[in-house]
Amino acid sequence: MSNVTFALDEAVDFVIVGSGSAGGILAKELSTNGFDVVVFEQGPYRKSHEFHNDELSILFRFELHGGKRENNGQTFRRTADERAQMPGRGLPPADYAQTVGGSSVHFTGNFWRFREIDFKERSIHGAIGGTNFTDWPLTYDELEPYYTRVDWEVGVSGAPGPNDAPRSKPFPMPPLPIQSSGVLMERAAEKLGMTCQPEPHAINSVPFNGRSPCMNCGYCMWYGCEHGAKSSTLATMIPLAEASGRCEIRAESAVFRIETDAQGRATGVRYFDAEGNERAQRAKAVIVAANGAETPRLLLMSASERHPDGLANSSGFVGRNLMFNAHSAVNGVFEHPLNDYKGVQVSRIIHDFYDADPARGFYGGGGIDGRSLFSATPIFFAMAGMPMDGPSWGKAFKDEMAHNFTRQMSLVGSTTSLPLDRNNITLDPESKDRWGRPALRVTYLDHDDDLAMAKFLQDRSVELFDAAGAEKFWRLPVGPASNSAHLLGTCRMGDDPERSVVDRYHRTHDVPNLFICDGSSFVTSGRGQPTMTIMALAFRAAEHIAKAARANEI
Amino acid sequence: MTKAHRLSRRNFMQASALSMAPWLARLSISAGAIAATACQQHESQSGFVALTASQADDLGAIAARIMPTTETPGATEAGVIHFIDAALAEAMSDRKPPIEAGLIQFNEALKAAHPTASKFSALSETEQDDFLRTQEDTALFNSVRVMTLWGMFALPQYGGNKDYVGWELLGFEGRPNAWQYPFGYYDAQVHNAEVGDE
Repeated sequence: MSNVTFALDEAVDFVIVGSGSAGGILAKELSTNGFDVVVFEQGPYRKSHEFHNDELSILFRFELHGGKRENNGQTFRRTADERAQMPGRGLPPADYAQTVGGSSVHFTGNFWRFREIDFKERSIHGAIGGTNFTDWPLTYDELEPYYTRVDWEVGVSGAPGPNDAPRSKPFPMPPLPIQSSGVLMERAAEKLGMTCQPEPHAINSVPFNGRSPCMNCGYCMWYGCEHGAKSSTLATMIPLAEASGRCEIRAESAVFRIETDAQGRATGVRYFDAEGNERAQRAKAVIVAANGAETPRLLLMSASERHPDGLANSSGFVGRNLMFNAHSAVNGVFEHPLNDYKGVQVSRIIHDFYDADPARGFYGGGGIDGRSLFSATPIFFAMAGMPMDGPSWGKAFKDEMAHNFTRQMSLVGSTTSLPLDRNNITLDPESKDRWGRPALRVTYLDHDDDLAMAKFLQDRSVELFDAAGAEKFWRLPVGPASNSAHLLGTCRMGDDPERSVVDRYHRTHDVPNLFICDGSSFVTSGRGQPTMTIMALAFRAAEHIAKAARANEI
Repeated sequence: MTKAHRLSRRNFMQASALSMAPWLARLSISAGAIAATACQQHESQSGFVALTASQADDLGAIAARIMPTTETPGATEAGVIHFIDAALAEAMSDRKPPIEAGLIQFNEALKAAHPTASKFSALSETEQDDFLRTQEDTALFNSVRVMTLWGMFALPQYGGNKDYVGWELLGFEGRPNAWQYPFGYYDAQVHNAEVGDE
């Protein structure tokens, strides 16, 4: 564990709230550049060797999501006129891990860079009425060096595809092996004139930076990697941060308030320690990297006389513009076993529909991937992977399950989401989480264009299954989402303090020594794999924050 | 069981717990509770911790129709009832009251449909299936269906999936969790073509 402990009443250089994709990188960058850093993580400090493939515990007893479902402290509603409810079953509405390394520990490892278009679509396609669709205050070229740092310092495997944005250095690792789902998708794409490319992964394909290559165990989505092959910040950045001797990871410590002084500057954070005692850590600057759901909740919880609508919220944009990325899925069964439960979720993708095309009659773009999805693990398959119109118990159900498990794959579409006022994170006025903090209330209803794009990708997926010669395939309904692991846009970046929460360097417009960097910084949603961009933004933010600190400009 | 026997048994449990410690450390927090439950289970008269013998008979029989024994093993061979019992004793103890209430209603409906039947398991398989079709929308049936699937396919440490019969049924070779490429029929075709080229 951390070999340095900082005193509560002495102001450290930085408090970072959150140890995930952004927090882990910021911790490493700032501590190795000579700054004292305390990282707060509400979940426990699990190490890679403690992860396991216990599906019941991970998926149905919410081991990495904070334990019991009641503990998640989240409510959901589609629109503001509904009373938000604690979901009765399934994963929480905002799906993130509570563990050191955050969701980089349990994410699937699909790892797309954004392309040039993602940063300037408003300029190209024009305004979209009723939305907050706008350009980013930075370009792909500005972010490219940081994508490359993620490739080489965090660890990415892959091979360039025909549709990729330019890269300044090649992938450091070759792609992971093609699976049967990838082969079938590739053959179908060729028949249909589409283009398949290898999926890039934040998973080692060969030994890299002292870490193991992937063992193809298949437990990627929602699981921690016991081999340390997944490039989580737990496996990559946090050990380097701790080795600096300047970074303390304070686990099982749930921040509930950012403190500010009479001048409106942040002075530290208040939190509950592992025993539930209230504590306060003083800091010269605070960085919130708690994810696109927790970050706005913390700012809203930090309201004060000076900041009555929540900290850094003079724009009213804190919590707004939540974007999930919409999805579609088609399941298909083939004659011979694919055994796609071996290996990672995805080995091939199609990015031919990445750009928005006005000819479609709606805004949106996305990608299709071929993956095991339900047939990665047996309980998930039995619970959710079988045809929806067939039997759900008895001999026929059992026989079909036994036939399909090794022969099934899915084609998944992931799309853009438009930023809307109505989709947001607010404080639930009634429910609390297990620390007594107001529950995180998620209000979400996909824009019609997002669902139209998902439907479009589903139609292409059906064509692909047909061309691949599947024995049987069936659509899962495309409809409004009620949960997501992609938590984007809720403290957006921008030059205009009236229309954004942070500036282009992640400093809040309202509080000079308060920074925010995570999925909440996104201006648009990308096409469905946000973690690479969160990490690139974190490297870039760290560079600018360190520069400002050295120049005494914080 | 004599006191001396019980003590020596406890010593044995402690000794084996020690040797298993590194393995247990990798499991979820409930592993200890499960071990304790399993221990109690062997000591209890009915063979069950949370369930009475008649509840276990009903639930086991329902589970056996959800995942029937055919030419391949079903819920009975997987020991699903032991999964359900352990779950209701510990991790899902909050579900025990609704399941008990559901079973009472289930047996009332059974009495109405089959006045002479002593219990659900006394019906023929066809009668059981026909009756269960009338119960498909009840909370009880849905809970038992979910717990049956969990008991078929969760790790054996939870009481079901005995000898991994559930995984074998699916063709899921879930151990030892490390695989060499190629994995399946179609990628092997590509692999073999590449090897052939060399």
